[in-house]
Amino acid sequence: MIEERKGRSDELAEKIRTARRELDAQSREWEKLSEKVELSKTSWLVAGISSPLDMAHSLPDRPPDYTAVSSDGSQIFPDRHEALPCYLINISSIVLEYGARARASLGSSPVLFHNDEDRFTTWGGKKIPADTEVISLKRTLMEFGRILELARENGGSGKTIALSDGTLILWRLEAAPADFKSEMLNPFLAIMNEFKNLKIPVAGYISFPGSTDVINALRVGLCPEKVSYCNQCPYTDLPELPCAPIEGLTDRFLFSTFLKPGEISSVFRSSSRILEMYGEHRICFFYMNTGEEIVRVEIPEWVAENDQLLKLTHTLVFDQAKKGGGYPIAIAEAHEQAVVKGKDRDFFFDLIREALVRSDFTVAVSRKGLSKRMPGV
Amino acid sequence: MEHIGEVVESSTKGFIARSPRMGESPSFGSFVRTDSEPRVYGLVYEILTGSKEPGRKPTAYDMSIEELRREQPQIFELLKTEFHVLTLAYLEGGKIRFALSPLPPPIHTFVHMCSDEEKKELSSEDFFLRAIVSSSNVPVDDLIISSLYSAQNVRKKDKDYMVRMGKSLSRFFRDDYERLSSILRRVL
Repeated sequence: MIEERKGRSDELAEKIRTARRELDAQSREWEKLSEKVELSKTSWLVAGISSPLDMAHSLPDRPPDYTAVSSDGSQIFPDRHEALPCYLINISSIVLEYGARARASLGSSPVLFHNDEDRFTTWGGKKIPADTEVISLKRTLMEFGRILELARENGGSGKTIALSDGTLILWRLEAAPADFKSEMLNPFLAIMNEFKNLKIPVAGYISFPGSTDVINALRVGLCPEKVSYCNQCPYTDLPELPCAPIEGLTDRFLFSTFLKPGEISSVFRSSSRILEMYGEHRICFFYMNTGEEIVRVEIPEWVAENDQLLKLTHTLVFDQAKKGGGYPIAIAEAHEQAVVKGKDRDFFFDLIREALVRSDFTVAVSRKGLSKRMPGV
Repeated sequence: MEHIGEVVESSTKGFIARSPRMGESPSFGSFVRTDSEPRVYGLVYEILTGSKEPGRKPTAYDMSIEELRREQPQIFELLKTEFHVLTLAYLEGGKIRFALSPLPPPIHTFVHMCSDEEKKELSSEDFFLRAIVSSSNVPVDDLIISSLYSAQNVRKKDKDYMVRMGKSLSRFFRDDYERLSSILRRVL
């Protein structure tokens, strides 16, 4: 096993070297690559390029006073073996103000969903019960809604960052029918609009990213065709495709070869299909060396195109990660405040059963539910 | 008058109160009271500051407190200070009774510092010293010294009073001369 791993790590090192060579070469003719990427139709996500790929931007000065806002959510999914078909979403609120007026406000507020309109959703013209996927999306919306509220109440333009854990790309909606897609996406985009009006950058932070968008752009570069159409690939008979030598490599390996702590990469555009519906909030991303790891930071296009907002995002995200020992402190606290543990879940359903009994309702719990609660010997 | 704590754990022999602000607490050996019915009087014998959540431990940041307040303000929201109080007496019909209260103070009752008058009354006899001596799990000798110091302060260093309390202590520790002399040497 160890031998095998060693073999793989040699192979990885070779791939990284190849990718790095390719990065240097393509950066010299980045406009050409950018054009080829735009015209190509690949089966993978390819980064949109609008500057040399091998740039490293150094860390701008941090404003002495600034505010970071964040939120995270956690839920208790409905359980059909329980007395009532309801669910709970707990949303945290984090405001961290630094500098002369430093203060912290940490908290969370749970919301109980039990009405028909909460328990059901419209999916392709049909009414279906809200499942884990729907509830998770609803939670995401609530998180962004909360972050916006916090930014509006506590933030100011030029000295505030709104942080979210994970991607800003709601790619799960890609496969959803139009009615559900717009029900989720419209409020999300309205929130993004508000952020834009407030001139407060919003950033999605992805630790240990597995994305390969930039590597994929280099693979397009490796393709001998003038324009790459993967589904008409003429090289399938070869023992190895021309784009294969760097396949399987993630972007973070590539950027770890030259980004120094505090530096960020060039900004790239994501080519996720769902982003066609994002309009001016199309998501861009860059990689950052936090000193601990290479992370991916996602931002809307209006942040990417505004040098001041981009620099603010760069310095504040880095500072947040530094404060949190390698992971943004506002996001870490947002998680801590939101998290609903197994014990909380049991307590929640106990409360519901007690409330029902107090009001003289017959509490019917499935036999499965009962047997889980009182396992006999 | 602003409260200095809120009862978060309560029993007949004493209670634990949470300070409204992390790091602030009545000092060790202070006389405090609740605003419950009946009013309960006691002595602070333990002050603890630590994480609010059992799973999270404070870590070292290598920063001064000022720097921490400026750059890591969240930690002050995640820490708590609590103080433990040994019950000495309670109020009944406007009179302080040197006995355990028939009922402990309810949870969430506010805790206040005793007024000088109350301090004087609570320490006028040697009952408070006896309560300390007969308690387990409190740092007896140091609590005697600190509470006597508070009692002495409020009396503007009344020499006769100290002689009286010293006599009481010599009765309590008549079998342990070493201990008695160590306490007396530290009080005076």
